[in-house]
Amino acid sequence: MALRTYYDLIASLPGLPPRHDVERPPISEVRLRERLQLLDMDDAAVVRQWMDFVHWDRQSLDHTDDDVARAYHRLQQEITNPTLWTLIERRLDTRTLVAALRRRRAGLSPPKGVGQWVEKIRRNYHHPEFQLQGRYPWIGRFDQLIGQGQALAAERMMFEYSYQQVGELQPADPFAFEAVLVYLSRWELIERWTSLDAVAGQQRFETMIKETLGEYTQLFAADPIPVE
Amino acid sequence: MDGLLIALGWVGLFAPTALGAIGSIIGCARAGQAACGAMLDLEGGYGRYVGLSALPSSQIIYGIVVMFSLQRTITVENAPGLFGIGVLAGLALMFSAMYQGACCASAINVSKRKPEIFGLSVAPAAIVEGFAVFAFIFALVLSGDIPPLPASGDMATPVTPLPTP
Repeated sequence: MALRTYYDLIASLPGLPPRHDVERPPISEVRLRERLQLLDMDDAAVVRQWMDFVHWDRQSLDHTDDDVARAYHRLQQEITNPTLWTLIERRLDTRTLVAALRRRRAGLSPPKGVGQWVEKIRRNYHHPEFQLQGRYPWIGRFDQLIGQGQALAAERMMFEYSYQQVGELQPADPFAFEAVLVYLSRWELIERWTSLDAVAGQQRFETMIKETLGEYTQLFAADPIPVE
Repeated sequence: MDGLLIALGWVGLFAPTALGAIGSIIGCARAGQAACGAMLDLEGGYGRYVGLSALPSSQIIYGIVVMFSLQRTITVENAPGLFGIGVLAGLALMFSAMYQGACCASAINVSKRKPEIFGLSVAPAAIVEGFAVFAFIFALVLSGDIPPLPASGDMATPVTPLPTP
C-alpha cells in the first residue's frame, strides 16, 4: 500500500473540535467533497468505500442480520486499506455490542452480529459487560442508561467514546492519507450527532429497538421510553 | 582505481549542492502545498504562510557555499576527503530540508486553526535549521584540512581543475 501524503488537503480542512457534541460540523458536506477532489484516484476510491459504508450503515433499519453478515464478509474482502477496515470493524463491533445489550435487556438470545466479539459475547452473555469492560469501559453505564430509558444520554456516551476511539487511529504523520480517513470518520460522527435532536433521538432509538428486536418490538410499544 | 577516486571526488564536490537542492525542493513543496491548502480554508493572512513555506530553501544556499569551499584541484589524495565531507554534508542538508518542510507544513496547519501559536509552532522548524547550520559550518571548517594541492610530485595525480568562478 502506497503511503501518500496530502499536505494541501489536510491543511485545507478546518480543525475538528475535541468533542463530537457541537452545534454544527466545522465544514459542510458539499465543501468537504470539493476538498476531497485533491485526493489521487486510488485514495479517492478508498474514501468512496468509506462513504458507501456510511451510507449503508445509516440505512440500518432495512438490513436483516443476514444482510449485515453478507455485507461484513464482502467488505472484508474488498477493503485493502487497514485503517479503513479498522474504522469499519470498530463501527460494526459497537453495533453488535449495542444490539447484544438491548437483546439481553429484552430477555432475548445473543444477536447473530458480526465482528470480532460475537463469540465472546455469546460465551459471556450473562456477564454484565460481556467481559469486555477493559476494551469498552462504557458498556456498563450504557446498559444502565438504556435501562433508565435515557436513550439520548446513552447515545451521547457512545458517540463520545467512538469519537475518542477514532482519534486514537491518527497516524504519526499528520499529513498521511490515513489522517484523511480519521478526519472523515470523526466528521461523520459530528455530522450524525448534530443531525439528532430530542425528537430525532427518540425516533432513532425506536429504530434501533426495531432493528434489534424485530418482531418483539411490541414489547416496548405499551410502555414508551421517555427521552430526557 | 585512481579514476574511481577522482570520480568520487567530483561526486563529493557537487553533492552538497545537488542533495541540498533535492532537500529544498521537497521541503518547500511540502510546506508550499500546506500553505496552498490553508489558503482554501482562510479568508486572509496568507503571506506569513507563503513566507514560512520558503524556509527550507536555505539548505540549497548552504550547499552552494560548501561546494565552493570544497572546490579545488581534485587529486587522488584529496578525493576521499572531498567525497566524505561533500556527501555527508549534502545528506545532512537534504534531510534537514525535507523534515523542515514537514515542520513548516505542521506549523501552517496548526497555526491556521489557532493563530496565536504561530510563533511557537515555527520553533521546531527553527531547531531543524540549527542542525543544518551545524553541518554547514563544520563542513566549512573541515574543508580547510583537505589538501588543496598534491603533497608531493611523485605521489600525487593531479587532474583537471575546476574553472575558477
